[in-house]
Amino acid sequence: MTCSADDIQALSRSRRQVFLGLFIAIAVSLHAFESLLPTPVPWLRLGLANIMTLLALYLYDGRAAWSVSLARVGIGALLLGRIFGPGFWLALVGTLFATSAMIIVYRVAGRRLSPIGISAIGAGGHALGQILAARLLVVQHAAIWQVLPFFMLFTLFAGVLTGWLAALLLEELREHPAFQQANGALTNQ
Amino acid sequence: MKAPWHFMTGGDWLVVLLLLTSSLGGIVSIAAMSEGSRVLVTCGDELCFTAPLDQPRTLAIDGPLGQTKLVIDEQGARIVESPCPRKICVSMGVAKHTADLLACVPNRILVHIDGSSGKEVSYDLLSR
Repeated sequence: MTCSADDIQALSRSRRQVFLGLFIAIAVSLHAFESLLPTPVPWLRLGLANIMTLLALYLYDGRAAWSVSLARVGIGALLLGRIFGPGFWLALVGTLFATSAMIIVYRVAGRRLSPIGISAIGAGGHALGQILAARLLVVQHAAIWQVLPFFMLFTLFAGVLTGWLAALLLEELREHPAFQQANGALTNQ
Repeated sequence: MKAPWHFMTGGDWLVVLLLLTSSLGGIVSIAAMSEGSRVLVTCGDELCFTAPLDQPRTLAIDGPLGQTKLVIDEQGARIVESPCPRKICVSMGVAKHTADLLACVPNRILVHIDGSSGKEVSYDLLSR
């Protein structure tokens, strides 16, 4: 069977779409699962869905990471019945901060940071974005900044944990032919 | 399974250390603040209640969802009962230091501790 360059491009494009769809589905499931877990202090969550954003960023690119993180926030909130509620806006701003921070730092630092460092930065950005949104939208009081260091400390652990899980997964997935071809469809032919 | 430090680069350690020291520094500086003397309660956008921290009392504050119960005693101020779904404010524990904060976001109630002993404030209780 012969394959033209067009076919290979189309194949890698649809493969990317299928995998991103899968990543979004897994991210939404992780998000929904996490919201069922009891936590000592509500609002503190591990952010396991961020693993999928990291995978999209490392296996594809920044646009893929945006697709996964934004779709996760939207679909996740819709599924849990929180869409357009105060918690949704906090989550959205947190995710916007986290995803931009991760993509920018990934572009600047490249291989000097592993997914663990990128994830820690994303987690810090998430905490910052959430508190900022809470300050502007919900609690109009500067005293809210007092909780930021506590948030940051917890979020650092969560970020390192999710980054580590993403690094473990990436090690496996990078070897897989599906992603090797996704990365170099045109160079491999 | 490989441990996290197997993956971590020098840059990773730098990022983690930076975030760790800044958050710990923030916590220490907050903890170092002196004990407050006044409880301020904000309902929605306006200040609706102030009371001295050293007089034990129980307050019922009305918010959009219902009544939030605030207890002031020798330990400090804490929310013991709230109609909000997730009881975040209850789990926030006791506030007694300056700028400590208890927030019940769904019920739009914010309790915070003020350090000023209220030199210009002649009243010892204010309720609106």
